[in-house]
Amino acid sequence: MKNTINRIVIVGGGTAGWLSAGIIAAEHYIADNLSSKDHNFHLVLIESPDIPTIGVGEGTWPSMRSTLKKIGISETDFFRQCSASFKQGTEFHNWGNGKNTKDDSYTHPFTVPHDFHETNLAPHWQKISDKVNFANAVNPQSALFDSQQAPKNIATPEYAFHVNYGYHLDAGKFAELLRQHCINKLGVKHISANMTAINSSENGDIASISTDSHGDICGDLFIDCSGSKALLLGEHYGIPLISKSQYLFNNSALAAQVPYQSVDDPIQSATLSTAQTAGWIWDIGLPTRRGIGHIYSSDYNTEENARAELISYIEKTAGKDAAAETTIRKITFDPGHREKFWHKNCVAIGMSSGFIEPLEASALVLVELSAAMIAEQLPANRKIMDLVAKRFNEKFLYRWDRIVDFLKLHYVLTKRTDSQYWIDNCQPTSIPQSLQELLEIWQYQPPWYRDTQHADEMFPSASFQYILYGMNFKTDLDPSLKRTDRETAKKAMSLFTENAKRTEKLLNSMPTNRELINKIYKYGFQKI
Amino acid sequence: MSNYTVLSPAAHKNTRIVTERGEALGDDIQYSLTYPLEFRNIQSCYPIFFSKNAETGEFLPIALFGFEKNENLFLDDSGWDATYIPMMVEREPFLIGYQGASEDELKPIVSIDMDSPKISEEKGQLLFDNDSQPTDFLKSVMSRLESLHQGHEHNKGFIAALTEAELIEPFTLEITLDNGSTHKLMGFYTINEEKLHELEGSTLEDFNKKGFLQPIYMAVASYARIRALIDKKNALENAKKVADYL
Repeated sequence: MKNTINRIVIVGGGTAGWLSAGIIAAEHYIADNLSSKDHNFHLVLIESPDIPTIGVGEGTWPSMRSTLKKIGISETDFFRQCSASFKQGTEFHNWGNGKNTKDDSYTHPFTVPHDFHETNLAPHWQKISDKVNFANAVNPQSALFDSQQAPKNIATPEYAFHVNYGYHLDAGKFAELLRQHCINKLGVKHISANMTAINSSENGDIASISTDSHGDICGDLFIDCSGSKALLLGEHYGIPLISKSQYLFNNSALAAQVPYQSVDDPIQSATLSTAQTAGWIWDIGLPTRRGIGHIYSSDYNTEENARAELISYIEKTAGKDAAAETTIRKITFDPGHREKFWHKNCVAIGMSSGFIEPLEASALVLVELSAAMIAEQLPANRKIMDLVAKRFNEKFLYRWDRIVDFLKLHYVLTKRTDSQYWIDNCQPTSIPQSLQELLEIWQYQPPWYRDTQHADEMFPSASFQYILYGMNFKTDLDPSLKRTDRETAKKAMSLFTENAKRTEKLLNSMPTNRELINKIYKYGFQKI
Repeated sequence: MSNYTVLSPAAHKNTRIVTERGEALGDDIQYSLTYPLEFRNIQSCYPIFFSKNAETGEFLPIALFGFEKNENLFLDDSGWDATYIPMMVEREPFLIGYQGASEDELKPIVSIDMDSPKISEEKGQLLFDNDSQPTDFLKSVMSRLESLHQGHEHNKGFIAALTEAELIEPFTLEITLDNGSTHKLMGFYTINEEKLHELEGSTLEDFNKKGFLQPIYMAVASYARIRALIDKKNALENAKKVADYL
């Protein structure tokens, strides 16, 4: 039996499949000819012509910039072909008291607080919290949200920025761009066929996949990107899904696409998230349309009522006509992840590995991280694959736990008691032990970067700060303790002043998202 | 601010253009746009760099006159001390545009910036004679504007070729003056000479045919002018010091 791992087969061609193909192919040189020598690396993607992709994930993290750059896609092409816009973070409404008051909103910008690695501004901000909210005090980014301004201008090189950003995008178009790039530029072999059987070898590995029109496709490593059905990892190997519904209640989504009223309507700088009776509504601005949807728990709300709340939101923000014409697509899911992600010579990426509400757009970033780890740690031979698999599983189980903690944090700080959903969200039994411990610590010390356990943590402690202090969490500080306090207090105040100046400057110099995107269509970004 | 109106004998019968140069006449500029067609002349006086058009992000070649905003080291009491003045400076206060029903019928339209300090009714060159015909001065202005238009078109192809071949790279110029003060020049771009030396024969041939190769090397040669600029700056600082002392 041949032991080297150089034939990779990806099953499924949605965003997860093509993004994984791009990331792996960018790292490994692919031979031109499939029948050439043994040591040549091959990457094959099998895509069913009959199964539509679900197109989850219209929001990315800033990590997508470096991912696209690495894959070799120009940012100009990406904007032009994927209806992409800039995402600078998330703006939350009604998560605090749910009374539709103006002060019940906060932001989670992508840029970390000013001087974050030298100075922890959180304790100092508490002294001025009656004058300015946390995000605005420590960082200029959120101020851009209100005026729908961009994180850069047309003279900024591609993938560079004034303030950090990711993207909103059309997932269908994104998969198409990746497909073309993978096939034409990176040498990925595309097979359009339906899978008819999975053939095992003696040791229980997958030896090949039988297809209806292209015979058997052999491989050394199979990547399951078949969506929530998880045809390889779930159906073939029987790796169960671990439900997280005891912590995160949402299991249903109603998704709609809403046109702008005018072609010049502003494009939002952040994902808007507005809390409802038993869930929340997302609102994502692309240049061409808005994507609006309601994520809710069917245990706490009826579909009828959830639909009514969504329609009411669309009426308020896009007009009665748009609401009347909207078609709504329903998606249900069991929030959770597989017990493990890599088993034998099969690894799951995307919805096959798990799915959880898109509150912090964690779906695509998990695809990027999974594919990057596979690309980087691709086992040299079958002998060490089980070890790599073990480490992969440990790493991603840890990451899923952190995602659950971080998403749950958004719920537990609410003052809402207007429905059983919000009341139950604050019950200790619905809060993971790890998060309960963090909350206890944060009562006396604000999160900072030494809080986190790993260097490549999914959510930096800055993110925890934005949620905690955005939701008016109080950390009870003993002011007398530290020798350095007096000095840092002085420094903190000058950092706040610096930030205010920088905010003013950015507000005066950044174009609106709409202006910049139109310029990208017309002139494109320079590479340098 | 600029206030351009279309040039006409009726409206500009008495308008004169002051041809002297000086700070008060709007020549206190740190750099000006230039075009590859004049690089040979430019490089004999000024360093050539590239800068980005803030509105489009596109690269534009520029001739550098100073190290700070509004510093033109070539200006002295007697005017602009250089053997060649860039076309974009020479064209002030005029602009040329083309209008017409179709591509073949385009007619040049000359506009004039009525807010320019070079405009006068008392002194300078008249634009139209008593019969409302263009003066020789205006005729030479028009011919300069036309070469400027050609230069602009040629430059588009030049910049596209340079960008495509990734020959433009960002750089920071740091200079130290005799008095120890340092100046940092940022936001400008140069020719990447390493990449230039690696260009393939076919690309070089293509560049040569299109008239791009010579200006590339003219730009590279122009870096030698930075020294002259520093000398001027040193002389200026010394003069200031002497003035303070006196």
